[in-house]
Amino acid sequence: MTNRPRQLPVHAMMIVLSVLALFPVYWMIVTALKPETEIFSTALWPKAPSLENFGYVLEAIPMLRILWNTALMASATAAAQVLTGLLAAYALVRWPFPGVKLAQAVIGLSWLVPFQVTMIPNYVLATELGLRDTIAGLVIPNAAAAFAVIVFYNAMRSFPKEVIEAARMDGAGASRILWQIVAPNMRPALAALTVLAFISAWNEYFWPLLLTRHIENAVVQIGLEMFMSQEGNQWGPMMAAATLASLPILALYLVLHRQIIDSFMRSGLK
Amino acid sequence: MTAIAEIFAPTGLALPRLRSAALPWAYLAPALLITLVWIYLPLIEAAKLSFYQWNMLPTSPQRFVGWDNYRNLLTLPDMSRAALNTVLYIVGLLPLSVLIPLAVAILTQDMTGRARGIYRSLIFVPMIVAPVVAAILWRWLLNDTHGLVNAGLEVLGFGPVGFLQDPDIALWTLVWITGWKLIGFSTLLLSAANATIAPSYIEAARMDGASRWQVIRDIRLPLLSPTILLLTMMTALFGAQWSFIYVNVLTGGGPLKSTTNVFFLMWDYGFKTLSAGWSAAAGILTFVTLAAVALLMLRLMKRLAVYDE
Repeated sequence: MTNRPRQLPVHAMMIVLSVLALFPVYWMIVTALKPETEIFSTALWPKAPSLENFGYVLEAIPMLRILWNTALMASATAAAQVLTGLLAAYALVRWPFPGVKLAQAVIGLSWLVPFQVTMIPNYVLATELGLRDTIAGLVIPNAAAAFAVIVFYNAMRSFPKEVIEAARMDGAGASRILWQIVAPNMRPALAALTVLAFISAWNEYFWPLLLTRHIENAVVQIGLEMFMSQEGNQWGPMMAAATLASLPILALYLVLHRQIIDSFMRSGLK
Repeated sequence: MTAIAEIFAPTGLALPRLRSAALPWAYLAPALLITLVWIYLPLIEAAKLSFYQWNMLPTSPQRFVGWDNYRNLLTLPDMSRAALNTVLYIVGLLPLSVLIPLAVAILTQDMTGRARGIYRSLIFVPMIVAPVVAAILWRWLLNDTHGLVNAGLEVLGFGPVGFLQDPDIALWTLVWITGWKLIGFSTLLLSAANATIAPSYIEAARMDGASRWQVIRDIRLPLLSPTILLLTMMTALFGAQWSFIYVNVLTGGGPLKSTTNVFFLMWDYGFKTLSAGWSAAAGILTFVTLAAVALLMLRLMKRLAVYDE
C-alpha cells in the first residue's frame, strides 16, 4: 500500500505470469468439453459442452483400471519413501557411529546419477527378477529417495536431544523412541514428504515406460502416451484423457496448495 | 524394526558393543540397500558395459571391445551434436529458470496481502502438471494447423510456425515447455529468499541516499546469490534431463536430430538401436561431466555466495 503507483505494473506482471501458467491447463479442460463439431473453434467456452470425449476415452482404454494402478503405485512409493527415509534419517541423526559420513555421502550423492545412465542395468535386473509389467517393479527401485532422507534429517536435527535422552533413561528402546516420540513430532515434514512423493510418483514416466508391456498394467502417464500414439490427432479425446490423468493431482492441489508449495520449496528441485 | 536389528546383531552373541555398533546400520539398511542395488551397482555395471558390445538380448554374448565404444562416440558426429544440443537446452533454460524469476521476485517484493497468496498458488500450477500432460497440452496449443498459438499468429499476419517440425525452432519449443514448468517454482523460491532479507539493510542504504537500482545491485543480488547459484546449478545439472521426456514424447529427437540431447541419445542407443555398449559409454561420459560440473559449482557457491551473517 505504500507505493500505489508502483503496484499496478506489479499486478500486471503477476497476471501475465498467472495466465501463462494456467491457460494451457484451462485450454485442455475446455477442449475436452468441446463436441467434435467445435473442436477447431477458438472460442474460450464451448457452445454446447459435452462429456462425449470422456466417454470415448473410457471406451478406448481401461482408464479407471489405469488410474487405480497409478494410485496404488504412487501410494506405495510414497509410503516406502517415508518409511525408509525416516529410518535412515534417525540413524544419521541419533548415533555418531563410524561410517556416518560415508553413509551420508552414499545417500546424498545418489541424486547425481542420471536415470538414463543406470537404466540398462536396471532394466536387465528388473527383467531377471520378474518385475516387468508389475506394480512392485515400479515401486521397489523408488522405495528410497535421497531427498526424503535429507528432509527428515533436517527436521530431526532440530528435535531436542534431551527428550530422547530422558526417554532412554526410562528404558525406551531405539525403535520405541523413534515411533512414539520422534515421529509424532514430525507431522508437518511427514505430511509434506508424503504429498511430494505421491505427486512425483504419479507423474513418473520413464521407468514405467521401460517396464510396462500391457495397457491393463500401465500407469496413467504410459496410458496417456499409448493413447497419444494411437489417436494423436483426436484432440478432444486426447485432452479428455489428459484431464482425467490430471484431475486427482489438481484436486489434491486445490485442497492443499499451500502445503504442496511449501513442501516442493523445502526439498528443492529434484 | 527391532526385528532387523536383531538379525544384524543376534542377541546370541551377547556383545552389547557389537549390537550398538550394528544398530545404526540396521536403520540405514533399507535406504542404503535400495540405493546400492538400484543406483550404485547399476552405475558400476554401466561402467563395465561401456567396454563391451552387446545388443541387449539376454541370449547373446557380451563381447569385450576395450575403448572402441568411447572412440566411436568421440569421432562420430552423433555425440558431439547431442552434447552441443545439451548445452543449448541448458543455456536456453537459464532465462526461464533463473533470470525472469529473479526479475519478477525483485519487482514484486512490495506485494502484500491476499493477492500475493493467490498469485503464488496460480503460478505454481505447472510444477505439479505431469510432464506427459504438459507435452500433450503444448502439442495441441502449438499444433501447426489447428493450434491456438498459430491461429493467433495468423490474426497478426504471420504464417503458421512449425514449432515442433522446424529444425531451427523445435529445440527452443522444447526448452520453452521445460521452462514453463519451472518459472513459477523458481519465482517462489527467489521470492522466499528475497523476503528474508532484513528490511533494516534496505532502510540503512536508503538513508545513505542509495537509489532503487543500487539497493538491488549492492544488497539484494549479493544476498540472493546462494539461491541464484543453487537454481543455476540445478538447471545445469538437470535441465537437459527434464527436457528428455519432451524430446521422447514430442519429437523423437528430430527433426534431423535437431532436438537430440545426450540423454535422448543414450535412450536411442539403448532401446531403439539396441547398442547397450554405446549407450553405457555415452552415459559414463555424461555422468563424469555432470559430476565435474557439480563439483565446480559447489566450489563456486562456497567462494562466491554472500551469506547474511
